[in-house]
Amino acid sequence: MVRQKGEFQIRWKTDLPYRWAIGKLAVKYFEELKKRKIMGSKCPKCGKMYMPPRGVCADCFVEMTVDDMVELSRKGTLMGFTVVNYPFVDPNTGAMRPFPYGYVICQLDGADTYLMHFCDEIDHTKFKIGQRVEAVFCDELPKDHESYRPELKGDIYDIPFIRLLKDEEV
Amino acid sequence: MPKHDVAIVGIGQTKFRSKRRDVNIPEMIYEAVKAALDDANLEIKDIDALLIGNMDHFEGINFSELWTGIDACGFYLKPVVKIATGGTTGSSLGISGYYNIASGIYDKVLVVGWEKLNEGGATTGIITAFDPVWERPSLAGALGPLALMANIYASKYGIERSMEASADVVVKNRSNAANNEFAHLQMPNITTDFVMSSQMISYPLRLHDCCPQSEGACAVIYANENEAKKITDNPAWFKGVSTAHYYTFGCDDIMYNLPTATIASKKIYKKVGIKDPIKDLDVAEIYEPTSWAELAWTEALGFCDFGKGHTLLDEGISKMGGEMPVNPSGGVLSTNPIGATALVRFAEAAIQIMGRGGKRQVPDAEVAMGMGFGGSLWTELCILGKDPKPVR
Amino acid sequence: MSDDKRVFEGRIKVPYKHTAGAYVEKFLTEIGQNRKIMGVKCPKCKKVFVPPKMVCFECFEKMEEWVEVGNQGTLKGFTVVTHKTDVMPLKPPFAYGIIRLDGADTDIVHLIKESDPNKLKAGMRVEASFYAKPRKRILDIEYFKPI
Ligand SMILES: [Zn+2]
Ligand SMILES: [Zn+2]
Repeated sequence: MVRQKGEFQIRWKTDLPYRWAIGKLAVKYFEELKKRKIMGSKCPKCGKMYMPPRGVCADCFVEMTVDDMVELSRKGTLMGFTVVNYPFVDPNTGAMRPFPYGYVICQLDGADTYLMHFCDEIDHTKFKIGQRVEAVFCDELPKDHESYRPELKGDIYDIPFIRLLKDEEV
Repeated sequence: MPKHDVAIVGIGQTKFRSKRRDVNIPEMIYEAVKAALDDANLEIKDIDALLIGNMDHFEGINFSELWTGIDACGFYLKPVVKIATGGTTGSSLGISGYYNIASGIYDKVLVVGWEKLNEGGATTGIITAFDPVWERPSLAGALGPLALMANIYASKYGIERSMEASADVVVKNRSNAANNEFAHLQMPNITTDFVMSSQMISYPLRLHDCCPQSEGACAVIYANENEAKKITDNPAWFKGVSTAHYYTFGCDDIMYNLPTATIASKKIYKKVGIKDPIKDLDVAEIYEPTSWAELAWTEALGFCDFGKGHTLLDEGISKMGGEMPVNPSGGVLSTNPIGATALVRFAEAAIQIMGRGGKRQVPDAEVAMGMGFGGSLWTELCILGKDPKPVR
Repeated sequence: MSDDKRVFEGRIKVPYKHTAGAYVEKFLTEIGQNRKIMGVKCPKCKKVFVPPKMVCFECFEKMEEWVEVGNQGTLKGFTVVTHKTDVMPLKPPFAYGIIRLDGADTDIVHLIKESDPNKLKAGMRVEASFYAKPRKRILDIEYFKPI
């Protein structure tokens, strides 16, 4: 292709390091996650249970503290699903994010908000809205699984994905 | 209470394309600004203030107001404000333009939205807008969550019916785009079969259920009642604006039915005296990033009952020639330069009121709605008309 | 990785393209091929802009007349950088200068290859030194040196 005049482009790659303070409730969440506990935060005024936990109930504009954190089930209900099947650069790594991957929104038992996360299923005919799902911990996976880690570290990769529960597991 | 009536008196758009490699960012914006000034027969010295917006991280530039405000808009030593609110950037600009005039602060303002999406990427840029700890690792830009919303919508109202209706939306909007020289995707002969056999990119969204990534700019000139009179005898008047924000985290609600659109539309209908939007509005330019979104958004805006979005198409109501055409310009499914997109909705609503739509004109349009929808699931609305008074 | 559990360390890493536009392309091409520094002249106020841009921001006029300006100019101001960070184009100490090229009406900020602040003076004459193998970048003018 002959390039037209005026089509000159400069290419570069932004690569910036950041250190984000995650907040008191998230610190507690990850401490408890290391003990295999999934914690939400409950608004002291309206009782709404937030998962992930956070410092303020937006509905009431009331503060929540670590004392308002409550353990939730690792099981929940599937609200919606998709299979991401398009290429894009992942800004966390600067490389293409591998695809296809399952991507779900689910509600853990006891929570009033929803969780969007990876799912290990990539065949869209296998999902059924309303079905039971479970958060998977990295140390429970087969050793050759790409997300396997021998122990929980108290970070976001402790729960690498959500899995669909089979009828007989419910 | 507003101190002044507010009118749109000049509009300039670039032709939207997937790539504009012939111009850099200020040069591209200048095209739209010059067109808007020529349209209103004004010079840049006549304008009091500039509102400009885009999403900087889509192009990897920061502080764009510094060089686009001056090099593209000639705002040397004059007031410039940059606004960036995701998909609603254009409508936040459009509504801020209204506030600046209505409050009496300025007589004439220039409002400019732009994006050059091929220089970075929308999906990658959008991911960086979300929470680094909880959301960025799995988020796939806007389409992943929009697919989840479509999926929930379809499961509620029937997947087969929703799939056909969503393909009808694409055919309607892209056929309309063929009447709009500024629209990005020109696919005059598009069919539902073509849409429904395109590649599945995020179930249930197929490639042609989704908006493109566009490059271009839109510039709009606002004036108060005294100035508008001097500029044109045919302005588009603001009857009202409204906005609703409803979000703390990406997953606090399923949001498939866009609650902010219901809240914002109820507010503006009350303000403007609208009882039945289909009868009281003549045309609407809404922000539908996917085909499914038009079904859900038209329901949330009260154009029909929940789950009945398809009836607007089946009965021809939202098509050209129908009772209330939706997106005569081709909508977001045909053109999406994100920072400009919602401003284009306001501008196209104004074009309809001014009767300057050419082949995309809705005959005798007297009341028009423009809608912005954004990454934070916000809704921002305007209702324009031949006069600034409420409908009733 | 930080040991501080209150902090999440991450990155934003994204590839970008920037369309430079025909004005910038001509400017960089003339430097690379002919070692000429070109500006554009406003048809209304007659100011010459270097680096060139499409619109005169004071007159809001499109500019189309190209003029060559000198490779020499006057140093209007400078600073000497002594603190080292990863993103510096040269090893400190070095200087940044504001330079008005002969025949131009705008200033250009560029590197000055002189690390002794005592030898630099506002008002002194400087000359462009060109990079041996041009890469169509602004650093094809590698630096300015005091004459
Ligand atoms: Zn509460
Ligand atoms: Zn000039």
